[in-house]
Amino acid sequence: MHDEGWPSMDFDTKVKMAIYRHFADTGEGADAGSIASALGAKVDEVLEAYQRLQSQRVLVLDIDGVSIRMAPPFSGIPTQHIVESQGQRYHANCAWDALGVAAALGRPAIVHSHCEASGEALRLQIGPAGPEETDWIFHSLVPAAGWWDDIVFT
Amino acid sequence: MLFFRSEDSLRTWCRQHGHSMGPIVTIDQLWRMATTWYATRLHADSRRPGPDEIRLIFAGLGLQGDFWDPGADSFS
Repeated sequence: MHDEGWPSMDFDTKVKMAIYRHFADTGEGADAGSIASALGAKVDEVLEAYQRLQSQRVLVLDIDGVSIRMAPPFSGIPTQHIVESQGQRYHANCAWDALGVAAALGRPAIVHSHCEASGEALRLQIGPAGPEETDWIFHSLVPAAGWWDDIVFT
Repeated sequence: MLFFRSEDSLRTWCRQHGHSMGPIVTIDQLWRMATTWYATRLHADSRRPGPDEIRLIFAGLGLQGDFWDPGADSFS
């Protein structure tokens, strides 16, 4: 992790980019100490940026206020929605975000998940033009106006 | 936000769990939602669409009605 090439960005954007690049490179959330070291900043400064990024809804922190639960579409914890691309595995927050990981990476991927009713496995290939033809469906219980009332449930 | 194998599977699951069944979204529609929200997410200048943009995006996908209205949520 490094910030070369980001000299003109404000600090919060550098933190955001460090978080997202780490997810894209490793499939896992970065810790605040690593981000601070990479940016030549203090951990407290990074944690303050976390709070601002969370208020902008590009980051969801765990209850400890330090661990990254979500940097949508990436999940900081294991989930049932797994995306494979170029030998790397990613966890997505939900079905929408599973396709979102492929969209964010901008490269071919395979989404692994399952039917919530039957448990039947889903293996969905996503190529440059999008997903292969399928009659699987997507469903949200929560209307759009309430998605962020409890984003973990959503 | 979950995947289901079919509308019947979804209906059964909603009935078993006492949930109201919401609109069905195809995987093609979901892909367009995913690319709209996330295709630039690794770019420094990426941003979330605002409410008016969201209404237009959903309308363009044929997803209309109260369920898809983000309300005044400026970050949804």
